Amino acid sequence: MSGIAGNAKRAKDGVCLSPIGSVTQAMHAKDVLARSGIYVSVVRNDPSQTRHGCAYAISYPCEEERTVRGALRRAGFRWRGGGR
Amino acid sequence: MIYFDHAATSFPKPPAVVARVAECLTECGGNAGRGAHRSAMRAAEALYECRAEAADLFGASSPERVVFTAGDTAALNMAIKGSVRPGDHVLISDLEHNAVFRPVHALAREGKITYDVFPTYAADPTASTDRILRGIEARIRPNTRLLVCTHASNVCSVVLPAREIGALCRRHHIRFVLDAAQSAGHLDVNLGQFRADAICVPGHKGLLGPQGVGLLILGEKTELKTLLEGGSGVRSLDAEMPPDPPERYEAGTLPLPAIVGLREGMRTVREIGIRGIREHEKQLWWRLAGQLKKMNGVRVMVPNAEGSVLSFCADGIPSEEMAAALDERGFCVRAGFHCAAIAHRTLGTPRGGAVRVSFGNENTTEEVDALTDAVRELLTEKRKFL
Repeated sequence: MSGIAGNAKRAKDGVCLSPIGSVTQAMHAKDVLARSGIYVSVVRNDPSQTRHGCAYAISYPCEEERTVRGALRRAGFRWRGGGR
Repeated sequence: MIYFDHAATSFPKPPAVVARVAECLTECGGNAGRGAHRSAMRAAEALYECRAEAADLFGASSPERVVFTAGDTAALNMAIKGSVRPGDHVLISDLEHNAVFRPVHALAREGKITYDVFPTYAADPTASTDRILRGIEARIRPNTRLLVCTHASNVCSVVLPAREIGALCRRHHIRFVLDAAQSAGHLDVNLGQFRADAICVPGHKGLLGPQGVGLLILGEKTELKTLLEGGSGVRSLDAEMPPDPPERYEAGTLPLPAIVGLREGMRTVREIGIRGIREHEKQLWWRLAGQLKKMNGVRVMVPNAEGSVLSFCADGIPSEEMAAALDERGFCVRAGFHCAAIAHRTLGTPRGGAVRVSFGNENTTEEVDALTDAVRELLTEKRKFL
C-alpha cells in the first residue's frame, strides 16, 4: 500500500483537490501520475477541511479525476470514503 | 595520503555528491514537509527523489517504506527496540558490530528480553550455510521474536547467507532485520529477495553520501513502535504520531543536505555498478592478502573471505602501533577492535587488536602494493630490535 487519498473536492475554475496523508505520499502520487502523463501539483490542504490539522493534497483538473483515481489505484493507493 | 578506511566512512566523496550538497546548502532554504512555499516544496521533492532512488536500489515496495534516520546505528536501534515486546527472545550472530550487540544487550540487561548468539563459523574453513542455519534453528524458542544480523562483517568480509536466513525466519514467523552497514553499495541488497522485514543502511559508507543520514528500509507489512515522537509536518492537531511511514518514524527536521548528497552517492554507485565495485574490491583484497600471507608472523583474519575489508595481525606489533606507523607513511587504516567485540572474539583476535584495511572503488593495485611495501619495511625495522 502506497498511501491513502481522499475523495476529490472541487475547488474553483474546474480544479479538484484530493487530500493525501502526507507530503511523501503526495510526492509519490505526483510521481506516479507524471509517469502516466498527468501533471498535478502538491498543495497544502485547508486545515479547516481536516480533523487532524496540517495535511497535503494533490490538485488537478477535475476532468482528469477518473484517470487520476485509476492511476493511483494501480500504484497501490487506497481511496478513503469509496467514491464515484 | 592513501585512504584505506572506507569501512569507517568513504572518502573522498564523489564530486557529484560534493557539488549537490554545496548547491543544497546555498539554494535549498526550505524545510521539507513544513509548509507549502516553493522552497519547502523543492525540499520535499528532493527528499522524495532520494526515497525513490533508495526504494528502487533496495527493493522496497514504495518510497514511503524508506525512512530517513540519523545513521545506520539509529536505524538499527529503531528496528530492534521498535520490534520487541517484554518477554521476547532475540537472536544475533557472533559477527555483530556493537550497533546490533549493544541495543540487544541493553534490552536484556533491563530485563525486557533474552537473547542468544548463533555461530557463523567465520574462522572455520568448513563453515557452510547449512551449518549456520542449523545453529540458528537450534536456538529458536517459542518466544523468539526477532533475528538481527550483519550482512557482511566489518572485520573480515565474511558474508552471511541473508537469503537463506530470511527464508528460515519467514518459516518460523520471526522478524528478520538485516544490518547492511558493510554491504550496501558493495553487494546486492534486496528486501524482497532476502525476505527481510527491515534493512538498515548507513548513508556515508558504501553509498558514498555524507555523514548524518541513514536509511531504514521497511518491508510492506513491517510496523514498529516509535522511538522518537515530535513534529512530522502532518496531522499536527493529533497527540499521536501519524499512522503511516515514513513520517511516523521521522520526528523532527531531516538533514536535507546529507540526504541530497546520499541520493547522488547512490546514483554514482549505480552508474559504476555494484558488480564492478565488488570485482574491483575482490581484486584488491586478493592482492593484499597474497602479499601479507607471504610475510613472516603476519596473520590475515579469515584468509579466504574476499571483499571490501581485510584485517591482519602482526606478531609482536600491537595494531595501534602498526596503524600509527602506517599513518606516518601516509596510509589511513584502522586499528583495534572496530566496535565489534563479539566478532573479534569469534575470530580469535589477539589482545593487541587487528589492523583493518578497507577498500573503496577509487583505490588501486599500486596503492595496495605501496601499503604492503610499508608493512614489510615496518616489520623489518621492528624485528631488528626484537
